[in-house]
Amino acid sequence: MALFVLRRLMLTGLMLFGLVLITFVVSNVAPSDPAALAAGPDATRDMVETIRKEYGLDRPLPEQFVHYVGGLLTGDLGRSIVTTRSVMEDLGRYFPATLELVLLSMTFGVLVGVPLGMLSAVLKNRAPDHATRFVAVSLVALPAFWFGILLQLLFSVQLEWLPTSGRLDIATPPPPFVTGMLLVDSVLAGQWATFADALRHAVLPALVLSFPCLASILRVNRAEMIEVMAADYVTAARAHGISRLRVVCVLALRNAMLPTLAIIGLRWGWMLGSTVLVETVFDWPGIGLYAVSSAIAGDFKPVMGVTLLIGVNFMIINLIVDLLYGVLDPRLRATS
Amino acid sequence: MQGPIIGRRGAIAAGLGAAGAFAAGSPARAFERDGNRKIFVFAGGQPVPVLDPHVRYDWSTRLIQQSVYDALAKYVNDPPQIVPWLAERWESNPAQTVWTFHLVRNAKFHNGDPVDAEAVRYSFERGLRLNKGVAWMLKDVLAPEAIKAVDAHTVQFTLTRAMPSFITYVPLWFIVNPKQVQANVANNDYGEGWLTRNEAGSGPFKVRRFEPQSVIQLDAVADYWKGWPQGDQRRLSGFIYRIVREPAARRAMLQRGEVDMITEVPADDFELLKNARGIKPEDHKGFTTFAITMNTTKGPTADLNVRKAIAHAMDYDALIQIHNGAATLLDSPFPDAIPGHVAVPGIPRRNLEKAREFLAKSAHPNGGFELEYVHVQGLEDPRRIGLALLNSLQPLNIKVNIVAQPWPTMVARGSKAETAPDMVSVYVTPVCTDPDVIAGKYHTRAHGQFWGMHHLTDAQIDGWVDAARVETDEAKRNALYADVQKRVVDLQPEIFGMLANRRWLMRDYLRGFQYCPLRLTGEFDLYPMWVDAA
Repeated sequence: MALFVLRRLMLTGLMLFGLVLITFVVSNVAPSDPAALAAGPDATRDMVETIRKEYGLDRPLPEQFVHYVGGLLTGDLGRSIVTTRSVMEDLGRYFPATLELVLLSMTFGVLVGVPLGMLSAVLKNRAPDHATRFVAVSLVALPAFWFGILLQLLFSVQLEWLPTSGRLDIATPPPPFVTGMLLVDSVLAGQWATFADALRHAVLPALVLSFPCLASILRVNRAEMIEVMAADYVTAARAHGISRLRVVCVLALRNAMLPTLAIIGLRWGWMLGSTVLVETVFDWPGIGLYAVSSAIAGDFKPVMGVTLLIGVNFMIINLIVDLLYGVLDPRLRATS
Repeated sequence: MQGPIIGRRGAIAAGLGAAGAFAAGSPARAFERDGNRKIFVFAGGQPVPVLDPHVRYDWSTRLIQQSVYDALAKYVNDPPQIVPWLAERWESNPAQTVWTFHLVRNAKFHNGDPVDAEAVRYSFERGLRLNKGVAWMLKDVLAPEAIKAVDAHTVQFTLTRAMPSFITYVPLWFIVNPKQVQANVANNDYGEGWLTRNEAGSGPFKVRRFEPQSVIQLDAVADYWKGWPQGDQRRLSGFIYRIVREPAARRAMLQRGEVDMITEVPADDFELLKNARGIKPEDHKGFTTFAITMNTTKGPTADLNVRKAIAHAMDYDALIQIHNGAATLLDSPFPDAIPGHVAVPGIPRRNLEKAREFLAKSAHPNGGFELEYVHVQGLEDPRRIGLALLNSLQPLNIKVNIVAQPWPTMVARGSKAETAPDMVSVYVTPVCTDPDVIAGKYHTRAHGQFWGMHHLTDAQIDGWVDAARVETDEAKRNALYADVQKRVVDLQPEIFGMLANRRWLMRDYLRGFQYCPLRLTGEFDLYPMWVDAA
């Protein structure tokens, strides 16, 4: 097991370096002059040079890369040329909002996707199965940007049930900062009105973000459940008089969950990436919005920071999934 | 940090309370209340990453800076006027090289310190030494050492050369409290790190909450040294700027009553909402010129006759239609609110016969070439203008390839003549009433900047612009600028487009909105505004 973990960790480190290299190269080959953009449209050439020098953009690219990697080792992701703050500080400010959104979406996706997948499998080729499959395909196909605006128009403008954007109403006092996740912090502070307001603001963006994930989980879970339900040991269990509910909900589901777990791992990274669109539509002040604002301004250190953060998250979650696989299936450990 | 311990009953009660609050829905009113006073809520699409008044300015940043800081003078009204503010009067020597400002005696910073000559001197010195943001306006004529606090209420600027337009830049230099800034200096940064998120101003509002990506909240200064034009009873309690990037979301928020006022409203949305119940529009002639610049150094557009042909083939009516009539065609390269503007006779309008005549004189008499038109990705109006251009040039057998690029990419391409696109859509907002800021677009110095993507080089224009900069006789100066405008039209480095109207939509209880074209796009003056509702 220790060797298995070590190999995975080494591979993760290698992938991380590759990610740093790619993000650095892509950011720097883009035809853009961040110093000129930060200096503003009226700036003279020497003003642009002042900024270029201040941010080390006057140095050769290999030197900038070495400096950047050296900074990474000490937790320094550089400084945003637009906000003038350290990228690490900015990420610390914005990441909790994104994490809150992704956790909510993922929870919703799992809690709804898994039971629907089971239901669909149990009622295979019957009306509920067709209906859930139709819904699943539709949810995957819906562009988040368009769907988000549509939900805003329906639930915020027409029905006036939910707020249009943001994390809290202006008049709502934010809870003291503990985790940065308003739902958690408001519970810790006992600010229930704030909790309710934060939840109302989170509903629409969380739904939009969760739908593709929900659909994937539903489809994978359905397929696996159908396969498992046809297995001999399930038939044997039924023949031994174990109730249908217990067979489906315990025996079959447990075995069908392995591929679902993999999908959850993959979708985690995908969701973090998708926050770029969802956070823009709903003005959710997370890392997605931070990345978009920075990219528009040609401010690449934050874009690289966000990319790395998402990459690291993705790798960590997949590492955990790999390790869980190893725990759940001893054959994998043996072959590794 | 430890949260309170919640019992089981408490948790159930709290949960029910939260559910009730959830079900209660959003507040229907727009403005927030603070006792009997109101808090004005505004939504725009642009963040305010930096508060420091000497480091950055754009419309949203200046909206906050203008509210939090004061300057020696201020731009107000339409047409724009410069009125005394921290300075009660000023004078210059006949050569316009020495400018003396006499300060009001009662101005004070938010922490109670007096606004004195030393604060003014320090602020200008700081702006120049940082060499960012506003520095370009004065750095060529003013050395930090040449600013003198003559006494506590008099400050003097000695310029290296005559600068008749000096006063037009002064309203854009905000005064910071040197004591607060110096107390927060780190690594000789002139307090830049601290002023990014904090303020040290004397303006009518002070910062309460600063979340650059989402919300900025200001509190009115109850005893503002200049008083309140709407009267103390009616003045606002505060102001909230909500950053809402999507125009559709901003529109929804205004309709729903989540905000009192919005800006950056698409033309179709504006038409839809301007007569809606409870909503009123502010629709004013703009100051931002739109032009399609043409690369004068390479490709077919290097040929003056091709540029003239294109300019005469352009469907100018389409520019107005795209803005639903809320735009005015340019009759000069200068917007008409700029002093020295002259309507240039013969500025091109659609005339296909003339267009064909010019094309016939060019190296491409039958057309048969393709031109790239680049506009900023995500902007709808320039894209539609590109389509109008495409249609306009078809009769000349000229194809147009419309390309949307991110702003940084477009600017980087345009900075060099070799890579600058054939045609680019460019909006330019003059920051002050000095004609030099717009005449300078056509000077060789503009090469490399986004408005200089035409890369025009003309010795006559350079000479006139340089001469006008230092000319203290207003009549002679205006004559030079008239020459510049005519020559620019002759050389046609651009298709001279239009001035799109500046527009805001607001709830009908908002009062005190004062338009001044000198403000940048969505910017407005918060100081005279109030909410007239029970």
